[in-house]
Amino acid sequence: MPSYLLVFAQSHSEFRIPELESVAQLHGFAITLPVDCDPSRPFMVLDLASEEHAKLLAGRCILIKHIYEFYAQGGDYEELHVANKANGHLWSSYAHDTSFKFIVTAYNHKIPGSRQREVVESFRYMAFAGKIDMKNPQIILGCFEEYDSSIALRQDRDSKFRQAYFGRLVVDGSARALIKMFDVKKRLYYGNTSMESEVSLLMANQALASSSKLVYDPFCGTGSMAYPIAYFGAQVFGSDIDGRQMRGKAGKGKLPPGVLRAATQYGVADRIVDLCTFDVTRNPWRCGDLFDTIVTDPPYGVRAGAKRLGRKKELSEDKKAANIEHQMSARNKEEPYVPPTKPYELSLLAADLVLLARYLLKPEGRLVFFLPTVNEQYEEVDIQSMLCDGMVLVANSLQDFGSWGRRLVTIRKATQESYPPPCFEEERDPGARIPAHKDFREQYFRGFKKENDL
Amino acid sequence: MVRLITHNLLACHVKGCTSNNFPLEFKDVQVVLRESEFNPDFLRGFIPKLEWPALVGAARELGDTSLPDQLPEMLDDDFLKALHHVLLEIHVEEGIMICPNCKHNYPVSNGIPNMLLAEHEIG
Repeated sequence: MPSYLLVFAQSHSEFRIPELESVAQLHGFAITLPVDCDPSRPFMVLDLASEEHAKLLAGRCILIKHIYEFYAQGGDYEELHVANKANGHLWSSYAHDTSFKFIVTAYNHKIPGSRQREVVESFRYMAFAGKIDMKNPQIILGCFEEYDSSIALRQDRDSKFRQAYFGRLVVDGSARALIKMFDVKKRLYYGNTSMESEVSLLMANQALASSSKLVYDPFCGTGSMAYPIAYFGAQVFGSDIDGRQMRGKAGKGKLPPGVLRAATQYGVADRIVDLCTFDVTRNPWRCGDLFDTIVTDPPYGVRAGAKRLGRKKELSEDKKAANIEHQMSARNKEEPYVPPTKPYELSLLAADLVLLARYLLKPEGRLVFFLPTVNEQYEEVDIQSMLCDGMVLVANSLQDFGSWGRRLVTIRKATQESYPPPCFEEERDPGARIPAHKDFREQYFRGFKKENDL
Repeated sequence: MVRLITHNLLACHVKGCTSNNFPLEFKDVQVVLRESEFNPDFLRGFIPKLEWPALVGAARELGDTSLPDQLPEMLDDDFLKALHHVLLEIHVEEGIMICPNCKHNYPVSNGIPNMLLAEHEIG
């Protein structure tokens, strides 16, 4: 199989491999990662069946900047040139009269111009006789030096790279342009909890969003997740306990709801199937096995906490009766009745979400959601213990903010069986480990100090 | 919005209301037709999930009689186009959806149905 050099964007390193695997699956092929694969590094040499596969990956992976046909690599140029000469069959056909351009660049470093020319000169033996064309070359040859970030500040590090890579450009990553297109600041409707565009696009890829799929976001909010998913062709349902989030200032029926205004801006309003106001723990879905993907960014309490129907404190029987009477009589159409809500603790919400997904997803469907965790206390078991029969972890990628982070969790329904709807009243086993995302809001505002340290 | 695809998936969920709670009946509705892209693969994939008589009934309630009483065995393009129109192009913008069993009213405002339950309805 031919080898390709993947050049990744510098951000979100933990998302690189899950995204590659998801996009490959979406296009119906599998990839085999190299044995020594280190996703924290921005270059990866990957075997792919064809250039076509490389183009499919570059067309959809948000984190791919470029894909090169891989010619050689080395810890120094001597090693790289030996390898490159051995791969002469890959590039010799371009040597006679193909116009070309040569790029020499580095990760974590800037190579001085004089040495860039030196590097280009060192490839003289390839004997490229074609015209050098900086504007419209037929091929682009790229040489990349990768510097260790730990020695980033040293003055004399030039040429002390960890590894150098060389190849021919096959395709630039075109999906990165979507980050700008979906920029929240340019969106016609957003809120203070709207997800930044790059991450929402990564979620859409984990969600395997594509034409003819049906996707559901049970904490739809201002619709951040719906836009990229609909853009990739899927039909999206959104629900939220607070209709005002989805409506915005639409109010008295003059404007379309906010989510639809933003969706119209992106040309995808048609694929927002419907928006409904309800509490997901009291949901009206008639049956299960409905959706290809459930994708959501549950409110975790820093800017807006999750809520569910109910009261923090139960009312006395007298008050209950009085309340019901009041509700029945005082309903009027101008001011719709708003039932009381109570906080929905994050670890309970997360566990319920997995059970709900098992009920509502089709077999092989995916649940993709963000879970904030306190980094110091996080253990893998926190995610494992949320799973239930039939639900299998696919990926778990950390977006690190220092003392806390959020994990993009991808779970697959790996069973053909149908399950009943969850009861949403699961009691936690008092002996079980307390996951690092429990009471996240309280921990956040404590500055992640332990309770007894205060 | 509310499209009939959604209407076909929503049942009354008031506590204890578990039979004859679907389909919800429309009342005082304002309907808008909006063209949308025809996606036959999506439709074919979704058909097994449909409650056919409920869909036909809802469409007729809103004045569209293009669907046959029985789901045809042959899903030709003409049929899929009629189904597409009924499922995705008829939008109930305002009105009420009423549970045939417990008579709970679910209001639809600006295309968004309010399926929240009152306190005494969640038990």
